[in-house]
Amino acid sequence: MNIQKNKHTYWNPYFGGFLLGILILFTFYMTGRGLGASGAMKSGVVTIVDALASNHAENNAYYSKFVKDEKSPLNSWLVFEALGVLIGAFISGGLAGRIGWRTQHSPKITKNRRLLFALGGGILFGIGAQVARGCTSGAALSGMAVLSTGGFITMLAIFGTGFLVAYFFRKNWI
Amino acid sequence: MGPLIPNGVIPYEWNNIIAIIIGIVFGFVLEASGFSSSRKLAGVFYGYDFAVLKVFFTAALVSLIGILYMDYLGYINMEQLYVHPTYLWGAIIGGVIMGVGFVSAGFCPGTSLCAVAIGKIDAIVYVIGIMVGIFIFSELYTVFQPLYEGYFYGNITLMDSFGINRYWFVFVFTIIAILAFVISDLIRKRRKKIFY
Amino acid sequence: MVNRKVAKVLTFRYKILAGIFLLLAAGLVLLPKYEKHEGIKPEELLSNAISPERYISTDELANKIINQDPSFIMIDVRNENEFNKYSIPNSINIPLKKLLDEDAIGYLNQNQYDVIFISNDHFYADQAWVLCNRLDYKNLRVLKGGINNWYLTIINPTKPTENMPAEDFELYSFRKSASMFFGVVYPEQLKIEKKPEVKKVTPKKVIPIKKKKKMPVEGGC
Repeated sequence: MNIQKNKHTYWNPYFGGFLLGILILFTFYMTGRGLGASGAMKSGVVTIVDALASNHAENNAYYSKFVKDEKSPLNSWLVFEALGVLIGAFISGGLAGRIGWRTQHSPKITKNRRLLFALGGGILFGIGAQVARGCTSGAALSGMAVLSTGGFITMLAIFGTGFLVAYFFRKNWI
Repeated sequence: MGPLIPNGVIPYEWNNIIAIIIGIVFGFVLEASGFSSSRKLAGVFYGYDFAVLKVFFTAALVSLIGILYMDYLGYINMEQLYVHPTYLWGAIIGGVIMGVGFVSAGFCPGTSLCAVAIGKIDAIVYVIGIMVGIFIFSELYTVFQPLYEGYFYGNITLMDSFGINRYWFVFVFTIIAILAFVISDLIRKRRKKIFY
Repeated sequence: MVNRKVAKVLTFRYKILAGIFLLLAAGLVLLPKYEKHEGIKPEELLSNAISPERYISTDELANKIINQDPSFIMIDVRNENEFNKYSIPNSINIPLKKLLDEDAIGYLNQNQYDVIFISNDHFYADQAWVLCNRLDYKNLRVLKGGINNWYLTIINPTKPTENMPAEDFELYSFRKSASMFFGVVYPEQLKIEKKPEVKKVTPKKVIPIKKKKKMPVEGGC
């Protein structure tokens, strides 16, 4: 029990938030842009589609925006950043002993149900992130840092909807 | 002076290296704050854990105040920063879809990457889901296109849309955030046996 | 239970943190506001404007061109028609109305070369000079008298009369040789040399303009 407890001791949220804020500040100072995450996944999808069906990728109005002849879509800032996220999280998880193949869910639901909901949530988030041109980190967090109207709207929409629909998903979590 | 890379103070070639470094810190902070746990993330919607709210608002405040001070002191030119463009209905509908996805899966893309790094299987499934979602969006792009490209208001900030003084806005925002922190602590429900 | 929560919220460190946040935010509100200047200050602009470095005479310019001085570029701010009719060799045409275009910045905003503005007289060139100075571009100069003066002094120099001092004759001979360099053929030259004029073609100087990198910032997600 004691080990279990240590494993799940996280930083004080204010401390984490402070460091995250400093990081966003640093990112804007260095590169003039914010953080992001879903962009890397978009690059991944574009690369896969381009590799499997190059013609299709060029003909599709959306992929073709990101397919460039001279440069792989994977060679982008956000992909490198996402790689860094993986490394950083691995270091942090390793230091705290949180690494392991696990599936996390409420004891009330089965593992398969959890995975199904994760997949469904992922699909929704994937679509939503494209419609809104950014996810919680790209649009909401980085957008708020520069007082972007779109960022604030996206943030309010995400969390507002979250609270509204939370009731229907309560079994998954509590 | 700043931002450094767009102004050529640091050669452009460094961009990707800096991206990795920033990513490492980003991942480390997110993971160490507990964002690799979907149940901790979902806690904000059920009132048993407000870490998301606290981290999120603290980060927004620190970066916002920091950028304004740096802009004031001339270290950074706020005009040159990338302002997320405002596509009104795209932002709202996209946000609503993401909100449902968030509650359903308990991750957002950034945090799911952290969870993938420490071997959470649900996060791996989630990332696959996101890629499927992006695939669906791209295939049905013609359907989404009016929403994706319409209602464009430019790269506007709140000052442009409401004509408020940004310093006053930040001040009010700070007060709201602090109140939110206090209230979240007061209404937090203790639930034991929640395994993050 | 509620009391314990209140006590937790009101712990000393959280009060301090909240206080720091409020102070910083209030600081932003209370800081004295000032208008930010884009580019240089008026005083600096004035001192640049009265500096003797501002103008370059046609003789100096001719000298530079003949000696193939690599340290400068010439920007012709007249419109294209005029530029095509006559221009100083190797000058680059950036009409005044296109001065602030994206392509022009690479030539104007750099520290490698002196920029010499040229127009018919020096009126438009001066305007270009002021505009670029305001944007804090460096090493800007204006050709005194412009193309008109260039024509009068270099291409078609007036012969000094007998009673003029010796310097004028020196100047005249320099100008004359300069004009020959720029392809003007004099009758007496033909008489003496008799052989077909070998038109000296100045090697077209290709100026590798290094564009100052100013990357547009891209999006987040």
